[in-house]
Amino acid sequence: MRGLAAVLQEWEAVIGLEVHAELTTLNTKMFCSCPVDFGAPPNTHVCPVCLGLPGALPVPNRAAIESIVLAGLATGCEIEKRSMFYRKNYFYPDMSKNFQTTQGPVAFCMRGSLLLEVAGRSSRERSCLDGTLPLPEAYAQEGYCTVVGITRIHLEEDAGKMVHVGGTDGRISGADYSLVDYNRCGTPLIELVTEPDLRTPEEARLFLQALRQVYLTLGISDCSMEEGSLRCDGNVSLRRRGAAAYGTKTELKNMNSFKNLHDGLAYEICRQAEVLESGGTVAQETRHWEPASKRTISMRVKETADDYRLFPEPDLAPYDLSESFIEAVRSRLPELPDAKRARLMKSHGLSYLDACALAADAETTAFFDAAIAASDVASAPAAASASAVAKPVANLLINDVAAYLNTHALTLAQTRLTPAHLAELAGLVAEGTISSSQAKAVFARTAAEGVSPARVVADEGMEQVSDESAIEQVASAILAQFPDKAEEYRAGKTGLLGFFVGQAMKATAGQGNPKLINEAFVRLLEG
Amino acid sequence: MAISVADYRSLSARAIRDGIARADFSACEVAGAALAAIEAIDPRVHAFLEVTSKLAHEAAVRIDALRAKDQPLPALAGVPIGFKDNMNLLGTRTTCASRMLADYASPYTATCVGRSLAAGALPLGKLNMDEFAFGSSTETSCFGRTHNPWDLDRVPGGSSGGSAAAVAAGMATVSLGSDTGGSIRQPASFCGVVGFKPTYGVVSRYGVVAFGSSLDQVGPFGRSVADVATTLDAIAGRDPFDCTSQECATSFSAVLDAGVEGMRVGIIPAYLEAKGVEAEVVVALKGAMDRLERCGARLVEVELPNAKAALSAYYVIGPCEAFSNLSRFDSVRYGYRAPGARDLGDQYEKSRADGFGPEAVRRIMLGSYLLASGVYDTYYYPAQQVRTLITQDYHRAFEQVDALLAPVSPRTAFKFGELADPTAMYLSDIFTIPINIAGNGGMSLPVGRGEASGLPVGVQVIGPQFRDENIFRVAAALERCYPEIERLAPAVEGVEGGEA
Repeated sequence: MRGLAAVLQEWEAVIGLEVHAELTTLNTKMFCSCPVDFGAPPNTHVCPVCLGLPGALPVPNRAAIESIVLAGLATGCEIEKRSMFYRKNYFYPDMSKNFQTTQGPVAFCMRGSLLLEVAGRSSRERSCLDGTLPLPEAYAQEGYCTVVGITRIHLEEDAGKMVHVGGTDGRISGADYSLVDYNRCGTPLIELVTEPDLRTPEEARLFLQALRQVYLTLGISDCSMEEGSLRCDGNVSLRRRGAAAYGTKTELKNMNSFKNLHDGLAYEICRQAEVLESGGTVAQETRHWEPASKRTISMRVKETADDYRLFPEPDLAPYDLSESFIEAVRSRLPELPDAKRARLMKSHGLSYLDACALAADAETTAFFDAAIAASDVASAPAAASASAVAKPVANLLINDVAAYLNTHALTLAQTRLTPAHLAELAGLVAEGTISSSQAKAVFARTAAEGVSPARVVADEGMEQVSDESAIEQVASAILAQFPDKAEEYRAGKTGLLGFFVGQAMKATAGQGNPKLINEAFVRLLEG
Repeated sequence: MAISVADYRSLSARAIRDGIARADFSACEVAGAALAAIEAIDPRVHAFLEVTSKLAHEAAVRIDALRAKDQPLPALAGVPIGFKDNMNLLGTRTTCASRMLADYASPYTATCVGRSLAAGALPLGKLNMDEFAFGSSTETSCFGRTHNPWDLDRVPGGSSGGSAAAVAAGMATVSLGSDTGGSIRQPASFCGVVGFKPTYGVVSRYGVVAFGSSLDQVGPFGRSVADVATTLDAIAGRDPFDCTSQECATSFSAVLDAGVEGMRVGIIPAYLEAKGVEAEVVVALKGAMDRLERCGARLVEVELPNAKAALSAYYVIGPCEAFSNLSRFDSVRYGYRAPGARDLGDQYEKSRADGFGPEAVRRIMLGSYLLASGVYDTYYYPAQQVRTLITQDYHRAFEQVDALLAPVSPRTAFKFGELADPTAMYLSDIFTIPINIAGNGGMSLPVGRGEASGLPVGVQVIGPQFRDENIFRVAAALERCYPEIERLAPAVEGVEGGEA
């Protein structure tokens, strides 16, 4: 099989995604007041409604409707004022009523779009930039922008979870018995369907990332692909470059990470190209991505198409959203990732990559903004000091904080770190009180113990030595200690400067101001 | 005891409550009399699938305790009530008269049941019905047929046949039934009692096992319009667990004496000439028209041009909703499970094939077919369009009149097995189905016995949506015009074996 790059020279891939997100941040399920809670003992968060007991009736969760309207407004959708729930009928033990309540032809959110920025190496996967837009110059990155149409976002309920015990492959056929946990049954779920506007696996991956950031910013889902609160299926077909008609598509399942989404689509594109180039036809089917063997396999081919007997849910009247409801939701829209990134670059002079990193999730951005605000309050003149600390604060967040959180598997909220701590630490570095390397040690203690950076510095006597005469004394002593090396330097081996600075840092226990030490050696050796 | 079985059987809900309030008798004595009546009479009638003696006594003890402390008694205090067996009541089985749910223990209580009990009613038990309410004779019950207390060789009507028969036989003072296409009004007519299907949304459906969700409505049976009004007052109104239920500020009991002076009552000429309507039904209806006119109502002829299509729309919409509503009975979590299944699919098929009776299977298969892709557009969608037209017919009619008077059933109670052809059975609901399609309320009120059959005949009073008080005004006035009609079915008189 040829590689993706070669295939995409001759073929254009046409990709559309279906993205399910559980509204995990809601307190209650879609149609009853059972808590939305993961990890509880099986079948403890259930009631007559979500168990589908005879006589139970659904009552829609208004907060879920607010969440989907938020998602719609954030993705430029038109909000349908009148939409309906439908019943999708099929038999499976994880669906307690044997029908799923979902939406019909008119969903709450229709006809939206996301502007996808494809920057850096990611952009190289696309071999033809027709139909794309250039990236803003300020990004200083190679790449392009492309508009991805969103067909609809609809609201539905999730099914329960099944565990098949015995048998070979964890499937129901051949299992000795199967267990069902209905805790998840009835969890509100939003399904977003894109237009077939994506052209590379990388675009698909970036789209899902961008969408995840939007949902995280809105706070409507925890979007965990590992735990299945964010799930993605892909539809992909190929056509010859320049051709208008779509080829036959396959549906891909089991792409439960960003990497799997990319790799599954990439494999499927190459597989389809091989089929087509050898004169075959692509079968319209559902295929399963197997990350271990790095291939897609055809799932059981059904003899007849599924017939879900979709019809309007008679227990729920058509839903009428008022203009005032929609406007109230709109007023709750937070700053979205795109706008955030632009603001960080414009107001704080951050680079595109730094802005991307900070805008990736709402908590980080909020922490950054709070730290900048804290440094504004702490010192004057405000404007100058704010922009001076922006870069060090950003660096601390992107590097030290991220590494710390990663190592300890924590979120920002779970640490004892405050935005004021970060502002103070960045200030200490900017003023030259401590070095960047000392800042790491200070950070570690602050994060772990909640002690303010200034206290840590004072406690440990870490103030940087910036006294020029003291530094010159140290430098003279070092040169006296290594007369041979000093000779070599003077003979032209200027690379030895690093060695001398290193010795001086060691002698000052890391507290010497590296810039002043550097200058002292140059003066002594070349003066 | 201070109340005899015979006295109990003839007392109204109001008289029972007042009797307890005056300490003429206690609620426990009422419960004892009601249970004695059931013991004596029900072996012949078979209205009850389960008798809840313990629950009735416990409720009675609570009422007597209120009385002892001189606290105010709620509206249905000490009034014995029965519930159709598609209504959940914690501590009982809810079988829907189906093998599928033969052992199903209710884990919760339906709102209508809970509100009756909160109003002080004494729960006597669960009443027979057509399986999952599919039928018009209570003959499709998997637990045996219910006999019409007026003629034990005849059906009580259906699907709420047990609810009608229990009241007609004087075992329960009032009862609750559900009406999807006439299942309260037709058995009320067959058994000579008052039965009311409110406007869709007046009574919560929460906890009532669904047949056709957009058509089902719960309502009371009683031996008088006043008893039905008192019961409805207790159960009506918005329920947070049923988002199709509506606020209800009206007291139906309060309008009974208002009379019909100046009211416009609509007559549908086509109904008087409809094919297959027995002469005695037409005579009874005309008699009621004359009496209303004499009471000061003005009769106005109105047209319902699309009502003739109601039956067709009903037999599309009803089975489609039933197919989906009954899908949950799959043997996985509860209900009948057939032995010896090979795999999941086999378990579904065997359990559902054995667990459902033939009429349920017929409706499920019909609904499954009608919703299939390619078929949906031919039936379901046009049926909804017809539904809109019929609803508009009623809206237009009620611009001209305050209530409508119509037949309930084309005929009086038939003999067991007489309507063996399902289609003939379906056609017997021709006058009751249109208002389920439109959503309006309708009451069946007894107006005496048929000239030819000697069996009870009812007339139907229909009102504008959410103006159910109009129906009560007309029905109460009409009831006063028939002081002579028997309230209790004579065929079971004396069988209780004298005083208990």
